[in-house]
Amino acid sequence: MTLPPDGHPVQVRDLHVRFGEVEAVTGVDLVAEAGHATALLGRNGAGKSTTMRVLAGVVPPTSGSVTVAGHDVRRDPLAVKRAVGYCPDVGGLVPRATPWEHLQLSARLRRMHRTEPGWEQRARDLLERFELGDVAHRVTAGFSHGMGRRLSVVLAVLHQPEVLLLDEPFDGVDPIGVEATMAAIDDARARGACVLVSTHLRELAVEACSTVTVLRGGTRVATASATEMSGEEGARAYRGLLD
Amino acid sequence: MPTAASWTSGWTGGWTEARRAVADVGHLVRFRTGTVRRRGSAAWFALGFVALTTAAAVVPAYTPGAGDDGRAFDLLLLLPTALAGFLGLAVVSAVASGGGRELLDRDPGAVLPVSPTTDHLGALLLAPLNIAWLLQAWTLLGTTAYALGPSGLAAAQVVVLLWLAVATALAQVVAWTFEGVRRGNHGIAGVRLVTLALLGLALGLQMADALVTVLDRLPTRRIVLGMLGGVSWTWAATIAALLVALVVAVALGAVPAYIAARRAPREEQRVESGRYTARRLPGSDLAALVRTDRGSVWRAVPMRRGIAVLAIGPGAVALLGDLPWSTMTVLPGLVASGGALLFGVNAWCLDARGGLWRESLPVPPGTVFTARAWVLAEFLVAASMVTVLLAAVRAGVPSSAELTALACTVVVVTVQVVGAGMRWSAQRPYAVDLRSARATPAPPLTMVGYSTRLAVSTTLTGLVFSGLARVPAWEVSVLVAVPFVCWSLARLVRARARWIDPVDRARVVMAVAG
Repeated sequence: MTLPPDGHPVQVRDLHVRFGEVEAVTGVDLVAEAGHATALLGRNGAGKSTTMRVLAGVVPPTSGSVTVAGHDVRRDPLAVKRAVGYCPDVGGLVPRATPWEHLQLSARLRRMHRTEPGWEQRARDLLERFELGDVAHRVTAGFSHGMGRRLSVVLAVLHQPEVLLLDEPFDGVDPIGVEATMAAIDDARARGACVLVSTHLRELAVEACSTVTVLRGGTRVATASATEMSGEEGARAYRGLLD
Repeated sequence: MPTAASWTSGWTGGWTEARRAVADVGHLVRFRTGTVRRRGSAAWFALGFVALTTAAAVVPAYTPGAGDDGRAFDLLLLLPTALAGFLGLAVVSAVASGGGRELLDRDPGAVLPVSPTTDHLGALLLAPLNIAWLLQAWTLLGTTAYALGPSGLAAAQVVVLLWLAVATALAQVVAWTFEGVRRGNHGIAGVRLVTLALLGLALGLQMADALVTVLDRLPTRRIVLGMLGGVSWTWAATIAALLVALVVAVALGAVPAYIAARRAPREEQRVESGRYTARRLPGSDLAALVRTDRGSVWRAVPMRRGIAVLAIGPGAVALLGDLPWSTMTVLPGLVASGGALLFGVNAWCLDARGGLWRESLPVPPGTVFTARAWVLAEFLVAASMVTVLLAAVRAGVPSSAELTALACTVVVVTVQVVGAGMRWSAQRPYAVDLRSARATPAPPLTMVGYSTRLAVSTTLTGLVFSGLARVPAWEVSVLVAVPFVCWSLARLVRARARWIDPVDRARVVMAVAG
């Protein structure tokens, strides 16, 4: 990973994203460290998902500076995409492809067949861990919402990315799936990856992450440690930041 | 919207149900028209529709030769067959689309108490928003006008308009019945057998030289007799009979609609619950993308059903009609246009919500575009080839000029249609779930616009090469094809450039992801 001098894999400065008349992100500043998980918290429409999409190289920033794993998202989006594992907030699955075909596509485009000869076994292990082994060869159109979310997490972590972006990974997921996702976040942190988790579930965010950044109306309003945002006091503080 | 009985509540029957269904159709139509993006275009479309229909119904009656004993009389003799042909086309269209189009898509509609009667009436209302339906209707009105001339024209056209409504309603009854059967035990096999039997019957009649005799005895003869001589007792009786038939067919359609709604769509479930054997890793990025896109196309029920109808239908008609090689050049355009309307005009919708994930994969956007355009092109070429092969069965050995003209037509219309489809896909993306056989890649009015533009350009191309097929030197077709291909390729390259732009691409991906 080519990191900037201050060593932060994710650096966002004064990010603005505009869709026609709507400004979805209005000046977000964000820094995330390697080996740590950072939560993005906020209400619906706070700009969490749009920020994640920019970090994944899916949506170009309208203005501002965004660096992911040392690459500028505007200048070198392909390098950003190689470094990132992304679980989108909605669906995230091709409806008439099987989980295995999704994994093969990702492995092929990331050259995993050359760099990681054992990727197939890792993929099978991940499918088993997320209880998707039985449906590995069925098209995802027939999946429940929770199954889809779990598979999206598997796809994001398969290539052991330097930056892991999980957008609403716990949404509609059963306790087994939540545990498996938590384990995946821990694994990523342990190997030194930078993890960003966007969610509106404060309890899960503080359990999974060490730092919490709260967005409101497309802007960052606070950054605190997970400890400060946990418990009843944390809930009150969070509630106060949302209004 | 008032709460009506949902399909799970069962058939309540009677006037209450009918009144509720009609009221609900009104609510749904208002909802759909409220979501029309470009109201100006919709108004122009409505105006154009009325103008074209009026022109088709009146203008031919005032052209030289109209209503006389020559060509006009020949057309009058063919009118019963044309009326029956319209019914046949309406049936094929409604059956292929699993009972017709939906006023409200399945997923958003699932939470609303929309009864099968409402769904049936909505499908009837949307049936004319289809270029094949419109062209046939205008042709019938025009043929009637030319065949009869100005005298008694208004009375005759009232009969034709009523017939259009009756045929559409009858087609809907057949379509719901087919859909009900298809969703039953061994229904898919049953429907395929019936379709094959009907095709075999038509082919058998043709081989036995009995097809013309059968067509001459069609009951639609009585409708044509009712048109003649202006307002009379026969005309009034015909109108009354058609009105009764219309009311009966509309009411009757609700019954198989209920039966179909109570049964699970087996074909879709089979695709979604089937296991697909894992294959080896593709050899290149492009091959990997093409494989994914092919799966998205060939595993979709509307695409499989639609392409089967498009490939076999025109081919079978050409086979029955003994189409010569020189006229066969109109077929590839017809099939390619229809094929593009299955998904090609909104090609990025294949990824649906997976578009965001796919866009996060490290692959140049140009390769993604090439893969999608390639898969669309091979889909269209495969269908065109089936049609041409069927049509060629009885056409004898072609001359080199005829063969070259046909090959050039396939190439030109494919590049034309792929170029147009990829351009529109980037300009106006829609979030569409193509799981249902009734799904279309764009809203009804937009589909009419797309189909009209495709039909005009590909038909003109087909006619140009039809003329060239009669020129002895085969090289002429190739020379004429070159500028056509270059022009369409240039438009395809422009569409690719638009896709490569990150801002445009993000807009498309987010739109199709919903």
